[in-house]
Amino acid sequence: MSEVKLVNIKKVYPVIERNKNKKNVNGHRTGNLQITDQGVVAVQEFSLDIADKEFIVLVGPSGCGKSTTLRMVAGLEEITSGELYIDGEYMNDVAPKDRDIAMVFQNYALYPHMTVYQNMAYSLKIQKASREEIDRKVREAAEILDITDYLDRKPKELSGGQRQRVAIGRAIVRHPKALLMDEPLSNLDAKLRNQMRAEIIKLRERINTTFIYVTHDQTEAMTLGDRIVVMKDGYIQQIATPQEVFDHPSNLFVAGFIGTPQMNFFDAELKLRDGDYWVDVEGASVRLADEKQERLKANHVEEQAVTLGVRPEHLLLADKGIAGRVTVSELMGSSRHLHLTVDGKDVIIIVPSTGGTGNYIGSDVALGFDGSNAHVFSKATEKNLEY
Amino acid sequence: MTIANSSRSRKAKVQLFILRVLAYLFIGILVAMCLFFFIMLLLMSSKSNSQLQGAFSLKWGGHFLENLHNAWNDASTNIPRGMVNSFIVAMSSALITTYFSALTAYGIHVYEFRFKRAIFTFIMAIMMIPSQVSAVGFIQLAYKFGLTNKLWLLILPGMAAPVVFFYMKQYLESVLPLEMVEAARIDGSSEFRIFNEVVLPIMKPAVAVQMIFSFVSSWNNYFMPSLLLTKPEKRTVPIMIAMLRSADYSKFDMGKVFMFILLAILPVMLVYAVLSKSIIKGVTSGSVKG
Ligand SMILES: Nc1ncnc2c1ncn2[C@@H]1O[C@H](COP(=O)(O)OP(=O)(O)OP(=O)(O)O)[C@@H](O)[C@H]1O
Ligand SMILES: [Mg+2]
Repeated sequence: MSEVKLVNIKKVYPVIERNKNKKNVNGHRTGNLQITDQGVVAVQEFSLDIADKEFIVLVGPSGCGKSTTLRMVAGLEEITSGELYIDGEYMNDVAPKDRDIAMVFQNYALYPHMTVYQNMAYSLKIQKASREEIDRKVREAAEILDITDYLDRKPKELSGGQRQRVAIGRAIVRHPKALLMDEPLSNLDAKLRNQMRAEIIKLRERINTTFIYVTHDQTEAMTLGDRIVVMKDGYIQQIATPQEVFDHPSNLFVAGFIGTPQMNFFDAELKLRDGDYWVDVEGASVRLADEKQERLKANHVEEQAVTLGVRPEHLLLADKGIAGRVTVSELMGSSRHLHLTVDGKDVIIIVPSTGGTGNYIGSDVALGFDGSNAHVFSKATEKNLEY
Repeated sequence: MTIANSSRSRKAKVQLFILRVLAYLFIGILVAMCLFFFIMLLLMSSKSNSQLQGAFSLKWGGHFLENLHNAWNDASTNIPRGMVNSFIVAMSSALITTYFSALTAYGIHVYEFRFKRAIFTFIMAIMMIPSQVSAVGFIQLAYKFGLTNKLWLLILPGMAAPVVFFYMKQYLESVLPLEMVEAARIDGSSEFRIFNEVVLPIMKPAVAVQMIFSFVSSWNNYFMPSLLLTKPEKRTVPIMIAMLRSADYSKFDMGKVFMFILLAILPVMLVYAVLSKSIIKGVTSGSVKG
């Protein structure tokens, strides 16, 4: 049992000169964060119930408050207001060491003067575990992470990927209630990152604890998370399963943030015809899918000007529809990305690369899409009208 | 193209070779200059008094062990006692100075608290006050409280060493990522234990450097001990050496005097030899990316 519950958590960093200097090095922007008399509001109105053994991913652009949130759960950062419960116990003022959580840092933060074994054994040693128990647990964790061969080495004698494994090993040896990870893979190169991502999925099956994982990489978020929390400027934008976030992004930001290439946006009109919702865009008119009809009806959405979002893979070449001209064609292997100009705006679509000579550039095409893949956002609030 | 390249690279090699030779020559001269005094001292301490009174020669005198025996067992200058006293003072103050300076530096580096800036400035300001100035008050205090002839009185003030503190702080800033402290906190370590088990080992090179400096300066310190230590059995080596000057040279065995001096610098060299081993660069490399 290890549920983590955050209730209306808020974090305000008092603005102190020396803090500024410290943080600017990391390229943090405080640009869009709310600044009050007390200081910079890094996180606010953060409420989340994390179930036992759930894998939660916090994702968002740099400076949105992911690390801050994680550090508040870890106890490394004071919670300005709100409540934090772990297993139902009020944790706001409990020291990190008494929270029974473990954390993996972006830059590993291994103890340089200790061997891999000692690094992993350190927390157990502090708990005054017996020699045999320490040995058993360290070897067990090393086995899981496949680092048994390096136990006698110092961190500086390891590669980046191995160091990251050790850092994870150090976190899992004592079977914490929750495992917190702050961008654990961002220091690795692309190939190793993919590999480690798969390892984390496997790891999860083996150690079965609650995970809170911070990343700014949406692929990691989509592949790892049971639920993902999309954040921006200190606010939660959406909490949902990866599928839900992908299929029903709650607002323009989430729609643009999740998915590559980015979702295409058009100015469109939402119309009601015979009790059904239609979108009219660039001369094309598409009836929304039944599921969307119901959601919109339930919200009593009225006819209005909207921002229409369609993902590149959902825009199809058609006989008639939205007219555009191809400007760039990129062969990606099994598929081809076409950059089009539609009414002066850039649009990307993905088409299969099979057949065809690939000489698309300069040609005029028409685009269509299915009513189940159209996302309509309010112009005023930028919210998805389905919600 | 390739020919031009190879001739150019040969030229570069020759240049590099000449540069190396010059560099080694320069270093060699410096080393010789530094070693000269030690070699002379060693030579002198091997000569008998009469040899020393005679013409100067670079030959080994052959009375080394005799001088050593005489110096060690000298009745008026109790050099073994002095060395023990000096060692107690120098070693303890080196330990105390480095440990507490590192601790202070850690506190200032890692924790956020009110008036941190002010405290830091205050410590730096103390650095500006010459020790002779504060010594006057200190000595008066010592006499008023009747604390003369106490070795610990020479040791304890080492706890507050702004220069060492500053050095330690600079060092910490360059080698200690805060994440490491946080990782240790999450691992369940207490703050004090983090310092002793995680931070101090990382600071080993800095500690070694400062240990050497404090040991040497404390070992050589004449000013404070001469004012505070009056009893013969409490004297430190520098006091004893200084007192040799007032001795009657015509009657005095100069070979013994050189032996005293040799003995006086021996521990310093030993400490240097032992500690310089731990001054290895890059102890933190690999703990943290970047
Ligand atoms: N100690 C601090 N003092 C003042 N402001 C801070 C401090 N730490 C973080 N901030 C600000 O709080 C905001 C959130 O920071 P946080 O580290 O949580 O961002 P993040 O989402 O983890 O970003 P990244 O992806 O770059 O790691 C940032 O804008 C940052 O400038
Ligand atoms: Mg971060």
